[in-house]
Amino acid sequence: MSVPSYLDQNAPTEISIPHGAEWRFEVPYKTIMTLTVKDGVGEIFGTELPNDVALRLTGRKGAVYAPLSSGCRLQFETHPNRDNINTSNEDELVHQYVSTDTVVPQLANLSFALEVVRLQAAADRLRQKTGPKVLIVGNSLAGKTAAAKTLVSYAAKMERVPVLVNLDPKEGVFSLPGLLTATAVRDFLDVESVNGWGGSPTTGATPHIPKQPLVRSYGFVGVSENVELYKYQLEQLGRATLARLKDDDDARVGGLVVDTPPLTMKDIDVIETIVLSFSIDLIVVAGNDRLVVDLGRKFELQISQNALAVVKISRCNAVTEIEESFVRKCQEDTIREYFNGNFRTRLSPLKFDVDMKTYVIYKVARLLDYTSQMAFLPSGDSYTADVEGEEAPQKEESLEKYFVKLDDPNSSNLENSIIVITLVPVPANGVVLPLELLDSSVLGYAHVLKVDDAKQKMSMLFPSSNNIPRHVLIATDIGYME
Amino acid sequence: MDPTIIKDYELTLRELTFNSKSIIDVLTTIADENKLEAQGIVRAITERITKCIPEQKLYTLYLLDSICKVVGLPYHTMFGNEIFRIFTEIYLLVNDQTRAKLVKLFETWKILKAKNSTLPLFPEDQLEKIGNFLRQAKPRVAESLQGGIVQLSLVADISSLLPIMEQRGHSDPSDASIPQKISALRELKLILLLQQFGQPELAGIQARLTQMKTQIAQDSQANAIVPSNANNSESTPKFTSSQSAPAKSEATAPEPAKPVATVLFQNLISSGLVKVDQSLKKDSKPEYELVLPKHKYSPQSFNTSSASILSNMIQDANMSQLPQHEQIKYKELLKLERKLGTVESFSSNLQNFILNNTLDASTVQVLYETKSLKCSQCGKRFPSDDRGTAMKKLHLDWHFRINKRLSNHKTNVQSRSWYLDTAQWVQFQENELSEFEPSTVKKDVNTRATSTEVAFVVIPSDETNMNNVCAICREHIKPSINPATEEWVWNECMLAPGNNSGRKIVHVSCFEEANRKRGAENDGNGRVKRERFA
Repeated sequence: MSVPSYLDQNAPTEISIPHGAEWRFEVPYKTIMTLTVKDGVGEIFGTELPNDVALRLTGRKGAVYAPLSSGCRLQFETHPNRDNINTSNEDELVHQYVSTDTVVPQLANLSFALEVVRLQAAADRLRQKTGPKVLIVGNSLAGKTAAAKTLVSYAAKMERVPVLVNLDPKEGVFSLPGLLTATAVRDFLDVESVNGWGGSPTTGATPHIPKQPLVRSYGFVGVSENVELYKYQLEQLGRATLARLKDDDDARVGGLVVDTPPLTMKDIDVIETIVLSFSIDLIVVAGNDRLVVDLGRKFELQISQNALAVVKISRCNAVTEIEESFVRKCQEDTIREYFNGNFRTRLSPLKFDVDMKTYVIYKVARLLDYTSQMAFLPSGDSYTADVEGEEAPQKEESLEKYFVKLDDPNSSNLENSIIVITLVPVPANGVVLPLELLDSSVLGYAHVLKVDDAKQKMSMLFPSSNNIPRHVLIATDIGYME
Repeated sequence: MDPTIIKDYELTLRELTFNSKSIIDVLTTIADENKLEAQGIVRAITERITKCIPEQKLYTLYLLDSICKVVGLPYHTMFGNEIFRIFTEIYLLVNDQTRAKLVKLFETWKILKAKNSTLPLFPEDQLEKIGNFLRQAKPRVAESLQGGIVQLSLVADISSLLPIMEQRGHSDPSDASIPQKISALRELKLILLLQQFGQPELAGIQARLTQMKTQIAQDSQANAIVPSNANNSESTPKFTSSQSAPAKSEATAPEPAKPVATVLFQNLISSGLVKVDQSLKKDSKPEYELVLPKHKYSPQSFNTSSASILSNMIQDANMSQLPQHEQIKYKELLKLERKLGTVESFSSNLQNFILNNTLDASTVQVLYETKSLKCSQCGKRFPSDDRGTAMKKLHLDWHFRINKRLSNHKTNVQSRSWYLDTAQWVQFQENELSEFEPSTVKKDVNTRATSTEVAFVVIPSDETNMNNVCAICREHIKPSINPATEEWVWNECMLAPGNNSGRKIVHVSCFEEANRKRGAENDGNGRVKRERFA
């Protein structure tokens, strides 16, 4: 019996999920699972699924939870995913089982407790009190993102508009990997999109209400690559987010949910920066008791001032392991979704050849490179430089720590990379003000398809066919091949 | 933790009785070098500010300021959450010159950024609260210059009495009336901050307070207060004598003070503060209960100590006017709020609540069946009342529109738009994206086309051939993207007159040209037509 034919004729399998249990599934990229809720109520990380509508999932690990006493009866069938049949080396079977070990009741408790705080904020006639500003921390695979999704989804169901902040550059939330985003979530998330978040406003139709993110570019998928740039960008994002909370009454009441990369006490400076930048008042630790105690000690004073609380939730066991290749594939698909859309919403990116000489291109700096470069400087040199113009070199240095100008853009350092289009127009004299570049948020992303070194031209893929702006570009560390 | 560092620090702090740059510098350096002890140092400074005499509070605040500006992390964050409380506490107790200095200091906080960071020195909400506080406080200060008793000065009086009473409570735990007095004073202070009183009432309160103060002054002369914390040895000048006075037995000495003070407090407590006011002025309205402040500035602590904001809110808002699903939600949340307690106990109860609470089935239903209309396409829920039904209808219309657009994706070419910049995002109204907003894009096209006189024809979505020709000059017209709406359009074109339906289009310029030729005899006609079709 050959496996593909077996998959092709797969009869629908029926699953009954008892009340309070979750059905876990792991769908490889090679396979498409269509999932239909037949009876009762089922939800994926807080997003309630429609009844009798076939949902199409591929390359997803997750769980359907049955929140009501009526339980949930669903049907699923699998088909091979012809787009991916050769690309991945995983096996094509869907792993699935029902488990009663679920963290959702804790998240529901937390959601209702947060709703109490939101109501109090809504009752504040001076409009000063804000809703809860929640930071979720924990180890990798502890269920941080699942918790974030559930919290914002439940809040949206109670007609709140929390701002979801994603600080995990590995994940592209309403955008590409390698960025930090803040998005007000008013509506359902789209479980069918690549990583289960959904679309941002495109020109036309998305099957879910789109969400509008604010995007700050980081350019790496790992925080440690340039922690200075990471902190700088998250501070900027924090400032904008708090301004939004002040301006937008719905967001003020909704508060914040901040999702993070895996952080431990070693990264306490990053955690502190986040707490400060977003004026966090509740830290939720997913499945790490030691971190709860350590953070409690670290923020003892703020806790005693009632300005901060640290609580824990259990680890979410819905996803037990994710291979590096799976993450990478998910990132690639997120990028593809950005340019080309998905099976429901097709987008047409624009291929365009540009003259490299007319652009100014920077590249994100690796902090390690920067510091080692500094080490090569003869000590005497830096000393004299310090004495003379204290102001000017200071500024220059502050940009070098984050971005390096590419004096010789060529195929080896640009081809097949994702490039940031900033809001800074290419200045006539070619001199970019460091602060202007640092402060710029992101207009969009382009993909460098090919670089012709001889002609000094590069072939780029732009997401929008709207007139291509001649702005300063920043090459990221994120590669992508069509 | 090294207790000796903190001890030394406290001792040095006590030397800060005048504006001494050198002491402040030394203390700042120590703080810089002992970041590990930051919590202890912060505590020492806050305590010092609370306990020292008003004249010296400013200098300690200067130290706080210096540490935050020079050292930065972690200090400015630690002070950050308290800065409003510290600042206002000092402000209420000091004279006008010092207040001016405080305001000056506050102005610097507003501009300065924290060290090595782009964030403001203190959290913006705290600074904003201080700003609001100062705006509220100023007119009252002006009032005081015109004579009369000012509520704020009474508040200051109470604030200066409170630590003394507290200390007495420590030194003399046998006197059961003291905690009562303290709590009464606290409540009085709150009410003074929250409600506007007439002059007669204020005069009454002031008289009582003066009585109290003289009583306490006498007490402390007769009986040296042994300070539990040595900081207080330099309390207000009135009490400096107590340092020299020999320590006598404490249990007996306060006795003579009792009658007067107790009478005052029994008045305050037994009758509730409301009635005190009524006895002073017969026709005063009995509205001095602890209710949520309606318009006045309220310190955070008040909000947190009030019994149940939710229940107040539910009483406030006429429940029957709310939609039914909201009513159910409020009722369920009220149940939970009882379990969670007020804000003060909230965070301590929260952990237990998250891990051990089991939500009632009726509470869980708030997320589901309370809104019983479920969209058959995406699972979104709507309440079953009239409004919900109407919303669901709009929602389904939206699905219909979207599905139609998605189904002809071959011709309806769409691509992604750019992200918003920071300012746009901050201003962005999320409900612009909602399905309940009338489709604004369409309107926009029309207004734009007429107002800017840039005419174009939106290519119908069911069109298969995007190329077209002008019906007059037969020139080929290529499709292009309208940057404003990002739809495919035939630019500088209009539908040919008399043809509303399809692809017969003409250049605007051609049409006008033709009209001009024709319109020699009937002038203006062309313009009328054009407006009709454009």
